Amino acid sequence: MIAELGHFSLVLALLVSMLMSIYPLWGAHTGNQMYMAMARPLSVGLFLFTAIAFACLTYSFVTDDFTLSYVAHNSNSLLPIQYKYTAVWGGHEGSFLLWVLMFSGWTFAVSLFSKAIPQEMVARVLGILGVVAVGFYLFIIIASNPFESLLPFYPVDGRDLNPLLQDIGMIIHPPMLYMGYVGFSVAFAFALAALLSGQLDSVWARWARPWTQAAWAFLSIGIALGSWWAYYELGWGGWWFWDPVENASFMPWLIGTALLHSLAVTEKRKLFKSWTILLAIAAFSLSLLGTFLVRSGILISVHSFASDPERGLFILALLVTVIGGSLLLYGLRASQLKSVGRYGLVSREVMLFGNNVLLSAATLVVLLGTLLPLVHKELGMGSISIGEPFFNQMFTVLIVPFAFLMGVGPLSRWKKQNLVDLRNQLVMAFIIAILGALAINYSYDSLATITLLGSFLSIWIAVSTIFEILQRTGNQFSLSSLGKLSRSHWGMVLGHLGFAISIMGIAVTSHFTTEMEVRMSEGETVALSGYNFTFKGIVSIEGQNYSGHAGIVDIHKDGDFVSSLRAEKRFYSVQRSTMTEAGIDSNLSRDLFVALGEQLKDGSWALRLYVKPLVTWIWIGAFIMAFGAFLSMADKRYRLSKFATRKKAVLDNNAVPQGVPQQ
Amino acid sequence: MKKILLFLIPLGAFIAVTGFLLKGLYSEPRYEVSVSVSKPIPDFELPDVMDPKKLYTKETFLGQKTLLNVWGVWCVTCAVELPYLTELRKQGVRIVGLYYQLNNDPDFDQKPLPQLQWEIRQMLGKHGNPYQFNMFDKDRSYGMDLGVTGAPETFLIDELGVVKVHHVGDLNTRVWKEKFSMYFGES
Repeated sequence: MIAELGHFSLVLALLVSMLMSIYPLWGAHTGNQMYMAMARPLSVGLFLFTAIAFACLTYSFVTDDFTLSYVAHNSNSLLPIQYKYTAVWGGHEGSFLLWVLMFSGWTFAVSLFSKAIPQEMVARVLGILGVVAVGFYLFIIIASNPFESLLPFYPVDGRDLNPLLQDIGMIIHPPMLYMGYVGFSVAFAFALAALLSGQLDSVWARWARPWTQAAWAFLSIGIALGSWWAYYELGWGGWWFWDPVENASFMPWLIGTALLHSLAVTEKRKLFKSWTILLAIAAFSLSLLGTFLVRSGILISVHSFASDPERGLFILALLVTVIGGSLLLYGLRASQLKSVGRYGLVSREVMLFGNNVLLSAATLVVLLGTLLPLVHKELGMGSISIGEPFFNQMFTVLIVPFAFLMGVGPLSRWKKQNLVDLRNQLVMAFIIAILGALAINYSYDSLATITLLGSFLSIWIAVSTIFEILQRTGNQFSLSSLGKLSRSHWGMVLGHLGFAISIMGIAVTSHFTTEMEVRMSEGETVALSGYNFTFKGIVSIEGQNYSGHAGIVDIHKDGDFVSSLRAEKRFYSVQRSTMTEAGIDSNLSRDLFVALGEQLKDGSWALRLYVKPLVTWIWIGAFIMAFGAFLSMADKRYRLSKFATRKKAVLDNNAVPQGVPQQ
Repeated sequence: MKKILLFLIPLGAFIAVTGFLLKGLYSEPRYEVSVSVSKPIPDFELPDVMDPKKLYTKETFLGQKTLLNVWGVWCVTCAVELPYLTELRKQGVRIVGLYYQLNNDPDFDQKPLPQLQWEIRQMLGKHGNPYQFNMFDKDRSYGMDLGVTGAPETFLIDELGVVKVHHVGDLNTRVWKEKFSMYFGES
């Protein structure tokens, strides 16, 4: 009953999206106020009906309604209750429902926080989101309906949630990732609305910026969580594998980063207008393409989703309509965009342009690396595989100029910068970075080119970012002068520092990780990088839907007790699969990582031990970057930080003529 | 007009990509290509699962009778037949493994190769290692060329690279006597 209600509600949402794709756009075209005014209530309806559908599916999971095919495939009566909630997005259909829920949520948010934007623009933006929504909702209802019933023949119990997903990281990773993917739809809608209206000044950039920052921040968190999850749950100590699923999320992130910077130029300097619009289209298109690649099964040639190419064809048709349509509109309209304003060869504009070129090149590298095997095969040249070495090499090459610009860019002025004026700061930053990099390598008793380079770039970015703050505050490092910097400025600073921290983590951990595969009997001790790992024995463990055993490993350093780790091996009986739960002791300077293997014939156990220096820096950096983006969003000039300030914001905005940049 | 063409370049690039995606979507008829008995084994070039730089081709089957065993660490039945296969290897039967990837949920990550290798070493260390080497069928495409439906499956390939037997399921004494032993000059 509840499931039918959910299904019905989803169909209603489709109908609402259809209305939304027609009336507001038509109203904006003909100047009909009433049609335009329909946009907001419709977006409320869209969100409401989708939320009801989602709640119904959740209810079906919690109450073990195995008459639903999706529930029967992804849950089990013995599944712990918290995972019954999260199993809702544990498979294709449900995760797509989560996706449309996020999408309708963003649409709703746009209607809520757009009071300061002219009604015509709001109608266009919501109308475009409505058009995209029609595609999504058609897809979920026709090709991947989570409410499909198994009646009259339904199983007594379900097949259980994939044990890999029974974990805290997986509870928050997909929602964050989808928030990011779908969030780029707002910038996309703003860009298209600007093209449609022919109102091709740069006002749209100012409206779209906070939305882009929000989407980017969520995407950063989502990617970081996914990487962190892979790190501790796969039990292999790796944190990035360049597989197609990861690449699918990395491409929108790269282009999104370019978009953030390009929007800044468009907003402040009214330059790069057509380029920014193209990036806004590309960021959302890559999100869609990523969805297609992952869900159509085109890259991993056989698996559960691929059994029916209808799904892939459907998403492809959606891609062609949305991406093809918007690129066509872009092609026809973008030539009318004229960027006025002059700037010198050495100026912040040029540096940001360099940033955009490098980020686009990086995206292209990932796109090629992901699609080339497919193209190669389709051209009849056989199967090739492009692996880590290709990506690592390309990114090592790209990151050098990128980091260089990241140091110089913020220090430079708009329009024209005399490099000689920056000489002191740049030389200082260079020297500090060299010395710092050498010191870091020295502290690990060896010298590796890649770490030397990475830590150099990281310190270079950090030091020049600090110089930039000093420059802004007139070399006063007092609290009051720091407080004068705007939130969006702090956002930039944190974004760059976070990046520097991640780079440092990557550079150090990828070379100075030590690992060891050992067989150990009870009481035995092995030493690794100055730590003594003592195997204390095995205990049995019993969970709600799994059983297994845990190896206890005590770690000492120089005779002092450091930590006692539990490395588990769990057997999930319904899915008949074994999972490794690594034992990790984490602090800022290193992770100690222990994974349990099989018991060997002589009664000893196989264990894998790792000491991974600075590995947590990678994720800490990503979270700082995301925090920076949130901070920037809360900047006064966007007026959407809080509900409380909204009214005031509307008043202020009425006082200030629309579209006049405040800086 | 020229300028519009310039701005249409992204659209052109996208259309080209779409062409490949569409084609890729339907290039799955390999499903139907099931190798049948008494036909030559399909061409391949597959890496060694332990050392992906090492590549094997059809040549590796020429000149001697070989059992090609399809297996994976995730496959419970494979663990059961490993000791028997190891027995066969001791009797001088050449056995080559085709490592078959588990049907993974593509929304989430594949196992990283080092982990897979480690698990393979673990499993073979525990149940015995019958294999001369293991070829890695990463995306299961060669499995499809062969008409593999699951694991374990075993193919007998003769000196000329022709498939003689295709057995689905585990290999044990009974199956060996019924289907395989005659090719090895046993009664």
